[in-house]
Amino acid sequence: MMLCKQLNEKLDDYMDGTLDETEMAVLQSHAESCESCQQTLKSAQRLRKLLQDCPVPMPDAAYFDRALAQATRVSTSHQRNRWIMTGFGGALAAGLIAWIIGGVLLKTPDLPDSDASIPGVVIALEVPYTVNLVFSSATELDGAVLTVSLPPGVEIEGFAGQREITWITSLKAGKNILPLTLIATTAHGGELLARLEHDNRDRTFRIRVTVT
Amino acid sequence: MDISDHNRNAIFERLLRPYLERLYRLAYRLTGSKAEAEDLFQDVLVKLFGKLEDLAAIEEPGSWTSRVMFHHFIDNRRRFARQRLLSVDESQLPQKSIESLPGVDDPEQDAERLDDIIRLGKALAELSDDHRLVVLLHDTEGYKLTEIQAITGDPVGTLKSRLHRARARLRALLSAGATF
Ligand SMILES: [Zn+2]
Repeated sequence: MMLCKQLNEKLDDYMDGTLDETEMAVLQSHAESCESCQQTLKSAQRLRKLLQDCPVPMPDAAYFDRALAQATRVSTSHQRNRWIMTGFGGALAAGLIAWIIGGVLLKTPDLPDSDASIPGVVIALEVPYTVNLVFSSATELDGAVLTVSLPPGVEIEGFAGQREITWITSLKAGKNILPLTLIATTAHGGELLARLEHDNRDRTFRIRVTVT
Repeated sequence: MDISDHNRNAIFERLLRPYLERLYRLAYRLTGSKAEAEDLFQDVLVKLFGKLEDLAAIEEPGSWTSRVMFHHFIDNRRRFARQRLLSVDESQLPQKSIESLPGVDDPEQDAERLDDIIRLGKALAELSDDHRLVVLLHDTEGYKLTEIQAITGDPVGTLKSRLHRARARLRALLSAGATF
């Protein structure tokens, strides 16, 4: 009975293996022959296992995107001003790249991987050049995430030194234009990627940037 | 660190994203319900966005963001603790997680396990907030005592004895039932 009491008092240390060797050996040999202590150890182990398995109902990835977008909403509404609604008329700059996403937005496959189908722009070293990314959406898309990845030596005005820029934004139904002013700091050029994600779906658009 | 207004969203997202899951889990451990966890989580994200410069400068964002959440929870405990008073019912349990529990494939065992989880939920609800938190963070989430100390500010020694008392109380509560 003495040992039963001792084991009960030292149960956590016993299970953690943090008792000194002598005490551990004494309690171990007692437990082997004591049904009540075996029962105690069994239920302590079961509790541990149960606690380890105690679940958290995790929300899906879209929930985290929404929560982030919500937290930044003041700033997001500021960013939204970057999207310009347009009638898609002739008033657009010469550098217009029209990336039209059809009615099956974000479900359609990416543009084929052949050079010929990738739209391109030619820009001069150190001379700012504005391209307009046009996204046409059949429906309103709230909390869409747009990530622009730049080739080496090409920057977006206002984001010096950054190769990847992410916006959380909303697309209105219809055509949305995002003007990006590119500046080439070296003559490398390469591919600019614009990845649009919404509701666990994404689509990547590519544009070839040639620097002269 | 000067962060232009322009780019705050992107930086915030990039800095925080790696810790979102950990933060959400903490919110759930603190509140014990999905609805309250989501409220707490959202509150804290808004708060953290306002502290973006700190977030960018901090060395251990995981621990720091958890501390911000813990203190926000304590300051608003009354608001977030509402649902803790309710007993755990089956609908509150995540069906999917139960199905994916390791070693559960026959229905009888499944039912027994579900029963255990419900009883554990009830026993946890009987613990004081401090006791419940330390046992959930240490035994369930696998935090070290020093990590819990970084969040709550309690000395490790205090946390250790609290943990032992919490486990003892849980064992007592659960052994009151026949099958445990
Ligand atoms: Zn015994």
